[in-house]
Amino acid sequence: MSHPELDAGRRDSAYQPIDPPEGGWPTWPQLLVGIGVLLTGLGLAWGAVGISSDAGYGGVGPNFLPWLVAVVLTVCGGWMIWEARTGGFRELEDPPGARHGNWTGFVWVSAGLLLNAALITRIGFIFSCALCYLLAVQGLRRAAGQSAAGRPRTWLVDIVTGLLIAAPVFWTFTKFLAINLPGLTASGWL
Amino acid sequence: MDIFNALMHGFALAITPANLLWCLVGCALGTAVGVLPGIGPAVAVAMLLPITAKVDMTASMIFFAGIYYGAMYGGSTTSILLNTPGETASMVTAMEGNKMAKSGRAGAALATSAIGSFVAGTIATVIVTLFAPYVADFAVKLGPPEYFMLMLLAFTTVSAVLGKSTLRGMAALFVGLAAGCVGLDQISGQGRYVGGIPELLDGIEIVLVAVGLFAVAEVLYAVLYEGRVKDSENKLSRVHMTARDWKRSIPAWLRGTAIGAPFGCIPAGGTEIPTFLSYAAEKKLVKDPRDKAEFGSTGAIEGVAGPEAANNATVTAALIPLLTLGIPTSNTTAILLGAFQNYGIQPGPQLFTNSAPLVWALIASLYIGNVMLLVLNLPMVGLWVKLLKIPKPQLYAGILIFATVGAYGMRQSAFDLFLLYGIGLLGVVMRRFDFPTAPVVVGMILGPLAEAQLRNAMSIGEGSAMVFLQRPMSIALIVVVLAVLILPRAFKVMGERRLRAAGA
Repeated sequence: MSHPELDAGRRDSAYQPIDPPEGGWPTWPQLLVGIGVLLTGLGLAWGAVGISSDAGYGGVGPNFLPWLVAVVLTVCGGWMIWEARTGGFRELEDPPGARHGNWTGFVWVSAGLLLNAALITRIGFIFSCALCYLLAVQGLRRAAGQSAAGRPRTWLVDIVTGLLIAAPVFWTFTKFLAINLPGLTASGWL
Repeated sequence: MDIFNALMHGFALAITPANLLWCLVGCALGTAVGVLPGIGPAVAVAMLLPITAKVDMTASMIFFAGIYYGAMYGGSTTSILLNTPGETASMVTAMEGNKMAKSGRAGAALATSAIGSFVAGTIATVIVTLFAPYVADFAVKLGPPEYFMLMLLAFTTVSAVLGKSTLRGMAALFVGLAAGCVGLDQISGQGRYVGGIPELLDGIEIVLVAVGLFAVAEVLYAVLYEGRVKDSENKLSRVHMTARDWKRSIPAWLRGTAIGAPFGCIPAGGTEIPTFLSYAAEKKLVKDPRDKAEFGSTGAIEGVAGPEAANNATVTAALIPLLTLGIPTSNTTAILLGAFQNYGIQPGPQLFTNSAPLVWALIASLYIGNVMLLVLNLPMVGLWVKLLKIPKPQLYAGILIFATVGAYGMRQSAFDLFLLYGIGLLGVVMRRFDFPTAPVVVGMILGPLAEAQLRNAMSIGEGSAMVFLQRPMSIALIVVVLAVLILPRAFKVMGERRLRAAGA
């Protein structure tokens, strides 16, 4: 549903994408999204084959919803592919933000999240989250074009900030709210 | 007098010092997440869902309701002061609010939105108090076919009507339904889409999906595409309304409430339509040519007061379908439903009989919360505005720490953190290609419930789908679903025809 006045309001606001698109957007990424949805649908259908159809009294068994979802997603995927190949997704708004992604920053943040997942049970919540914070904030600083990001002083500030956020969070949630988060030692303070 | 007595019992429970404290912390936290860009009430409640394992049910529901509520107040502060279109709920407020702020009247805009939120929130809470028990009484009479149709209505509106593209809305809804399928089938008990991974037998946690789609995706999106976006901030002026501001605001608040509350009551969801309707109504109704000239130029106070009231009325009244029918109509109510489920409670008509103290304490806490929020947001607004000074890199990186608490704290599995990252990537793609996210969350929470209702309904019909056509309520709901699907399109086609006819 689009509201002309709302859209007008949005355009009026001071918010502008950094590099407004020249010409149209390429449609191959949309094609990929369509293919992704299609494959998800097919994958779900493949998984639905193994689900029993024993319907009991109802005539609708445990495999009904999976099949429905699989079929609808496959159709949606096919439709998206068709849209992408015939001029692009319909009623699509220009995405917010820049036209091209900052993949360096993305790798930093991704590394932070994945290392956190890999290390949290080994080095404990505090250090693992501080590491995640450190890598993420470094990536975000780089994406924002901060030239000071790589300086030792910034690294130090980020390490300390990460610890200063992670440690109180850990104590609050484990001591006051009794949520289990992994510690490095058995004492529960670190 | 039954309702009055029940409400008084609710107040007695809600004003224990501990519960008052939970309410205050919830309201403050809600305001903070509302003010902060990049994090909203849905994700804040989701991150804190693990506390349901330890904290008393009444306390945590009061706490979550405070967050739910507070975020609405805080959100308008940001949309008025920051020149960035925020979430849909406050987008309309931003239109006039921004202009008022630019012409030096930020204080009046903030005041009218806070007081308007209070007025609308309180009136809507009265509506919840008076009507929810009747809806519950009525809902007891509904059987599985009617429930299934109600849920179908919620699915239809959230995916096909509210978004821009029906196709992408449907895709999002069915991705949510697929996620809801993972795990043990609740009726037959067999595993679906488990793929030999034991962690998946319990299903995918709603916390993971909400935190992944909103928090992690937001951070990844920010680093990818929004690193160099600079927000400009408007100056805060003294929070004060003149007599004329009051005179213009009061009718707008009441009209906004009258428009917003009915939208919240129906299981259709979305604040976009009522806030926009309220804005359009205010623009149309304004008589004084001076005031009329302010719309779209220096900012008209009615354009902030009305939509803001409509927004809060909708959000508050949305608790009626949540509590009495168990049908969430937004991201946040879907996650609140998840919180109830964590306590082994299924909101629905029985909630008012089986868990009466909880429900009434929750409703009483809404009255208290509204007062607290008025205090938190009027005299103390300067404090919250300081939150806007937190630099983006540190803010977003900090959000990841809280995301970890929510995702890991739920069931202590590092596997979930990898899954969280994957869901975050999905969220980035969805945002980039303009897929709505609410259908995913609503589909995931409501999908298993709808499936159970469908199968029960079919059992009642002894395997025949005719059961949906043999009951008057069910037929009526089918008609509503079809109307919701067909009418907007029909209007659009008619409008285009008329345009073409006029042009020819």
